[in-house]
Order: sequence, then structure tokens, then C-alpha cells
Amino acid sequence: MRITCPFCGERELGEFTYLGDAKPVRPAPGASQDEVYDYVYLRDNVAGAMEENWYHGGGCRAWLRVTRNTLTHEISSVEPAAGAGARQVVK
Amino acid sequence: MAEFSWEARSPLERALVSEPYGVQGEAGVALTEIRNFDLVQVMARRGKASEMATAAKGHFGVAAPETPKAVRTADATLIWSGPDQFFVLSKGGRQSVKSLVPIFAASASLSDQSHARVLISISGDKARALLAKLSSIDLYPAAFPVGAVAATSMDHTSVTLWRGNDAPGGRAVFNVLVFATFAESLWQTMLDSGAEYGIEIGHSEELA
Repeated sequence: MRITCPFCGERELGEFTYLGDAKPVRPAPGASQDEVYDYVYLRDNVAGAMEENWYHGGGCRAWLRVTRNTLTHEISSVEPAAGAGARQVVK
Repeated sequence: MAEFSWEARSPLERALVSEPYGVQGEAGVALTEIRNFDLVQVMARRGKASEMATAAKGHFGVAAPETPKAVRTADATLIWSGPDQFFVLSKGGRQSVKSLVPIFAASASLSDQSHARVLISISGDKARALLAKLSSIDLYPAAFPVGAVAATSMDHTSVTLWRGNDAPGGRAVFNVLVFATFAESLWQTMLDSGAEYGIEIGHSEELA
């Protein structure tokens, strides 16, 4: 499997580290215990397109938001995660 | 209080033996460690990338790289190292961290990497063949021309790889910046990879 880093171009899987589901959003400080529990522990077991966080630690050290099909490993989009640098240099 | 005498030494001082390695005859690869350089990491503070670019252009006279490229200035090389960040590589304290702090005071964070990295220069007819064993980057001349940069991994070790100006005779020169503590390991791997071509080993004070 290869991932096309928006900054570096196409690179092998070994340069990347998988963090996991990019969907969960940290609840507000006053959120209920159930909401926090959901955020920390509960994950969807997606069969199909899934948004994930990946780290290009063996390269430019940017965090990436990757849309990957969990059935086929097909990657349909790779974008810099929020705060990963303003400029996207490789299309 | 005990008195200490600090002496800067290369992390490769033990591993680097300046004699032919591998098959005898004309060496196919030259491995040269470049010693005693100044290396400063410049990273834009959040939301300050354009201010950093302006400061760099004003100071160096050329724009700092915003894509994986290396740019030569009058007395330094600016090497892309990731989004909104680059290295300043120079000799003789001309672009030391001390001299760069006022330039980037309002836009970027600096980190002195002079003694944190080892710089290895790889050249010779078989340079690409040696690197092909360590890296999946396409180093074909058209795909990786002079000034091309890759932040990548070799032998599971993060490196900054770039192609410098060609040596006399038009042979390509590849430079690798590697973390100091991983340098000896990567050096040994390079020796293993290049043994079949014959290696000429040395060290230099001159930036390629």
C-alpha cells in the first residue's frame, strides 16, 4: 500500500504510522459522562470508506487525513490534518 | 568543581576508516562525511508561514523552498524539511543560529542541529545503485534533478536526502542528513550495500 503525501508525493506504507478514526471530536468541557465515554472508547467498525489520521513520521512529519476503503485499501483522498502546515505542495 | 574540556568529535569518528572498502580496483562509489557544518532548523510559528517567507527572502536574497527542493544562496544551502520548515546549511559560522535568531524572531522557531546530524555525501557511478538498496525514492536523473529533496527513511531511519550540484565530469552527488545517533548504523548499512561496487571512503570539511 502506498499513500500520496500532499507534501512529499507517493511514499511506501513504512514511512507512515496509523492513528485511527479521524471522525471523533473531543467533547466540550461540560459534556456528559456518556459523551466523553463515547469519544474515548466507542468506535465504529466501518466496512467501506473511512476517514483516518495517519502520521508521515518517516518523511515530512505531517499529520494527514486519509480516506481509505477498509474493504479494498483504496485511498480516495489525502489531505493535511488541521495544523499540519498551510501549503499543500503536491497534487 | 571539576573542569571539563569539551572537544567536538564526529559521531562517525570510530566507524569511518579512510581506506578502500569492498571489492578492489576502481571504486564505484565514494562515501564522504562532511564535518564541521552549521545546520539550523527554521520552522514557521502557527500562522506565520508568510512572515517567515518574507524574512527569509529579505535575509538570503532568494526565497526559501516551499516544496521539496534545495536552494543555494551566496553562503548557504536552504533545504526543505517539511511543510513550512527548512534547514539552513552553511560553513564557518556564516549562518549560525545566533546570527539567524534576529532575522526570524517574529516568525519562526529555530533549533541548532549542527551537532545533531551527520552529513554524508554519496557520489560515483554506482551511487544510485547503492541508494536504491536503501531507499524507494526514484533517483533517475529526470525524476530527481539537481536541487531535488526528499524527507524520507533509509533503513527505518529518518533522513533528509537531496541532490547537490554535480561533481566535475557530471557525476551526480547525493547528500544525506541523518540523526547523529543513527549515523553509525546507517554508515555500516551503506558500506554493506556498496561493498560489491568498491567504496572510496573519506571525510571532508568542504560542503559539496
